[in-house]
Amino acid sequence: MKTLFSILLLATFAASALAQQPRPAKGKPSAPKPAAAPPALNAAPGLARDPIIKTQSLLKVNVTSQAYNVHLPWQKESPSARRGLGVVMPQNHVLVTAQMVADATYIELEQPESGRKLPARVTAVDYEANVALLQADSTDARTTEFFKDLQPMQLDTGVRIGDALSVWQIGQFGDLIVTPMRISKVETARYFVDGSVFLVYEGAGIVRSEGNSFTLPVVKGGKLAGLLLRYDSKNQVTTVLPASIIEHFLKDSTDGKYDGFPNLGVEFQITLDEQFREYLGMKPGAPGIYVGKVSKGGSAAHIGLKEGDILTAINGFRIDSRGNYKDPQYGTLSISHIVRGKAYVGDPVTIKVMREGEPLELKGELIRKRPEDEVVTPYRFDRGPNYILAGGLLFQELNDTYLDAFGEDRRSGTILRLSHIAQHPEAFEKEGRKKIIFLSLVLPTPSCQGYERLGGQIVNKVNGQVITDLQALKTALEKPKDGVHAIQLGEFPHLIYLDDAAMKRDDQGLINGSFRVGSLERLE
Amino acid sequence: MIRHLLAATLLAAPVLSTAQPIDAAADEWEGIVNIDASMLYADYREPWNGGQPMSGSGTGFLIGKNRFLTNAHVVSNATKLVIRTSNDPEPHPARIVFIAHDCDLALLEAVDGSHFDHLKPLEFGGIPKLNTEVIAVGYPIGGDRISVTRGVVSRIDFRLYSHSGVDSHLSIQVDAAINPGNSGGPVLQDGKVVGVAFQGYSGSVAQNVGYMIPVPVIQRFLKDIEDGRYDHYVDLAVSDFPIENPAQRRALNLKNDGIGIMVGEVEPGGSGGDVLHSGDVILAIDGSPVYNNGLVRVDGELVNMNEIVERKFAGDKIEVTFLRDGNEDKANIELKRFEPYVKLGAAYDERPRYVVYAGLVFQPLERNLMDANRISNPQTNYIFDNYLSDKIYVDLPEPVVLTNVLADEVNTFLSAYRQSIVEEINGRKIKALSDVPAALAAAGEDKDFVVIKLMENTRPLVLRRDLAEAAQARINQKYNIREAAYLGTK
Repeated sequence: MKTLFSILLLATFAASALAQQPRPAKGKPSAPKPAAAPPALNAAPGLARDPIIKTQSLLKVNVTSQAYNVHLPWQKESPSARRGLGVVMPQNHVLVTAQMVADATYIELEQPESGRKLPARVTAVDYEANVALLQADSTDARTTEFFKDLQPMQLDTGVRIGDALSVWQIGQFGDLIVTPMRISKVETARYFVDGSVFLVYEGAGIVRSEGNSFTLPVVKGGKLAGLLLRYDSKNQVTTVLPASIIEHFLKDSTDGKYDGFPNLGVEFQITLDEQFREYLGMKPGAPGIYVGKVSKGGSAAHIGLKEGDILTAINGFRIDSRGNYKDPQYGTLSISHIVRGKAYVGDPVTIKVMREGEPLELKGELIRKRPEDEVVTPYRFDRGPNYILAGGLLFQELNDTYLDAFGEDRRSGTILRLSHIAQHPEAFEKEGRKKIIFLSLVLPTPSCQGYERLGGQIVNKVNGQVITDLQALKTALEKPKDGVHAIQLGEFPHLIYLDDAAMKRDDQGLINGSFRVGSLERLE
Repeated sequence: MIRHLLAATLLAAPVLSTAQPIDAAADEWEGIVNIDASMLYADYREPWNGGQPMSGSGTGFLIGKNRFLTNAHVVSNATKLVIRTSNDPEPHPARIVFIAHDCDLALLEAVDGSHFDHLKPLEFGGIPKLNTEVIAVGYPIGGDRISVTRGVVSRIDFRLYSHSGVDSHLSIQVDAAINPGNSGGPVLQDGKVVGVAFQGYSGSVAQNVGYMIPVPVIQRFLKDIEDGRYDHYVDLAVSDFPIENPAQRRALNLKNDGIGIMVGEVEPGGSGGDVLHSGDVILAIDGSPVYNNGLVRVDGELVNMNEIVERKFAGDKIEVTFLRDGNEDKANIELKRFEPYVKLGAAYDERPRYVVYAGLVFQPLERNLMDANRISNPQTNYIFDNYLSDKIYVDLPEPVVLTNVLADEVNTFLSAYRQSIVEEINGRKIKALSDVPAALAAAGEDKDFVVIKLMENTRPLVLRRDLAEAAQARINQKYNIREAAYLGTK
């Protein structure tokens, strides 16, 4: 997780020297009157210096978060604090980035000027699109009182390259700090979790570091144009998560069933290389990209796209040799936006391909492969890693969160090997495995004498049963043969044995003894 | 789970300006000579180049008529060797008779041996006892004349020989100062050779640690070459797993007598590959019981069971008593060298092999290549790292890497694919570098194109055959490549 700026501790002041202009309480919170919108902000650089621009749509959001320890999954790491800004949305909701609330243990909303606070909780979150919606976690009366002078902010999804926007921050005394920026580029880029590539705006300009570092709103004419995703202080590049993605998220979450953003599931290759084009039988100037890989469970596989196809159009948009199309709003943009940004799960999709020299049209609907359906879970927040501790043998699901914790160590040895397996789960999938279970660590207990140095081996079978997930392991561990568990591993030493009675004795010791293991398993 | 290889430093000294030592050293040490080596270090990045000239210096000693023993690393990659003695100003050209990189020993002869006829060869002793005094004699850094340091035998153990980086043999640790230049020199006790000084310990953690190659390893080398060639060490190619766990002992049907070690990993194609299985328990080797920790008693001392294998030669048999599913069985295993193991070690005296085609450089994946190139491609690193552990060598005896793309119009779109492993060329599987030229020449599905499939890459690399062939001479001329391929001498 990256902090965008250095996080400064912020002193909160109960009173502000600035007079607050009283506003009438909202009648229908979901339909803010245009007149009640915050003072129109002209983002022209000259006006940005005006110290008394005010808004009723921003709250400070203070989050305490605590991730689980991936190596000792019954433990949590030290808690840490994140401070950011939330944007008031209709129905007393507050919008922040998902990154801000990942692994949160306590969330509170704070009024910038008065310093009043109210506990909050997450009502909807999408870690891929990096947006989350908060709601007060308090009585109705306190909530109504807290939100009574606040105004929901409207979204502006019409931003184009060249538009002048401003980044809003709140200073120590609740004063609004406005920094102008101009959109110079629109492209698709990685958001927060690996593999989550979505639309971004990029702008140049210096954003000064204030106490509230996360989730800064980016505003155009008083409307929310996006949230600050990251700021590269060295190159002074501001990356913005656009309002269109926020709108998609909000629309999707209104029905109570969140579907998320669909994915195409295609790895494509550019076709600029003339010799390659000639080999593929592509005519000079012909559109299209080479489909290198179609991943299982994605929309492309669902509608019948095949490896080796030349993808020439999606939903009527012609695809150039680099994999871009002409977007009416943003200009040249990666085709991933057609599926990943514009469309919803269940929307129809039409794909044109050249297959073996013949044009072909594929139709179907867009789907999304959920992260929990992956054999190797790409990310997991708010819940601890699943595990089973038996005697002293710690079994875990192989996932990216575990591997990422090793950083540079992924380049060699056991972690390189496990990373390789994580990137090639197909063989395990074919065997019917839902998850890949591995022996991650051995705690030094009497029943595990001789096994202390093991770790990093894939678990194939236990007591003769194929281990398809942790639940299967749990079941298998209930059936020792002659009081001994036989554990078959994918690598050296291939086979270890564990005494059932000694294991159970050690389990008790792990719970009550110096390791203070709270629970011998987590199976969520 | 992660094995720490102790960093060992080899002790050949960088060259010194040699003022001739004209001195009458003690007669008994006249057979201890200085060896000056001029070497050429192969260039694995530009494999068509001759390499980098270097020079070094070490010690050797006379063990018979015109036969000098030294370390392999003193004379590896040598293009020219010169022997000097302490009381003769003349440099005597010399050459390698036998060299054994796996145990870091080499035997040299002077081109004209008559100069040394009057010298008395040194004699061998045995394995010295712990805490007995030894002296190391040689030509280490710090001066030109012969040097003597004194110490005691600190430890006798099996350990890694850093010259190859993959072989472990018996070695003796002494606390006599052993410095660069001592390499190849004798360590003496009571006037007899008890070892050849060969490596030290780098880093600041250990102090007064030097290592010598003991007499059993030297004598094995001398015996191996008696038939006129060096056959290398043999290997059982089996990894053992100690039996310490009571449940393990019970499940494997073992008595509680401390005998037996579990077979963890068996390398297919290795000596033990057809006989032993993972999960077997080795009870005895050549009749000597193997304890739960893998030790056997040899000459009254407990030593690693591999020590029994170590003393054998290629083609020798070893009798293994083992337990499988509770039943005791015996088998004779014929011992051989385990080839895949060799690739993981450093290679010397070898010209790098390669194929250049239309600016694409293909090289076999081996230790020297990995060391010379910063390979950042995770797939290639994985293949090298797990060549043994994931049995990659079974299907892919010699992975071939597209190491470089020498820029030219014909390959300008392919430069991003360097460092990848080649899976197929024109539909033919590439299992070794020697497969590459024929596969490039072969007509694939479309004879007008050369199609190269890389591991982990979702698009084939495609070259139009006519353009590629026309570019070949141009590229080789531009990049100063005199030969388009070198495939070795085999």
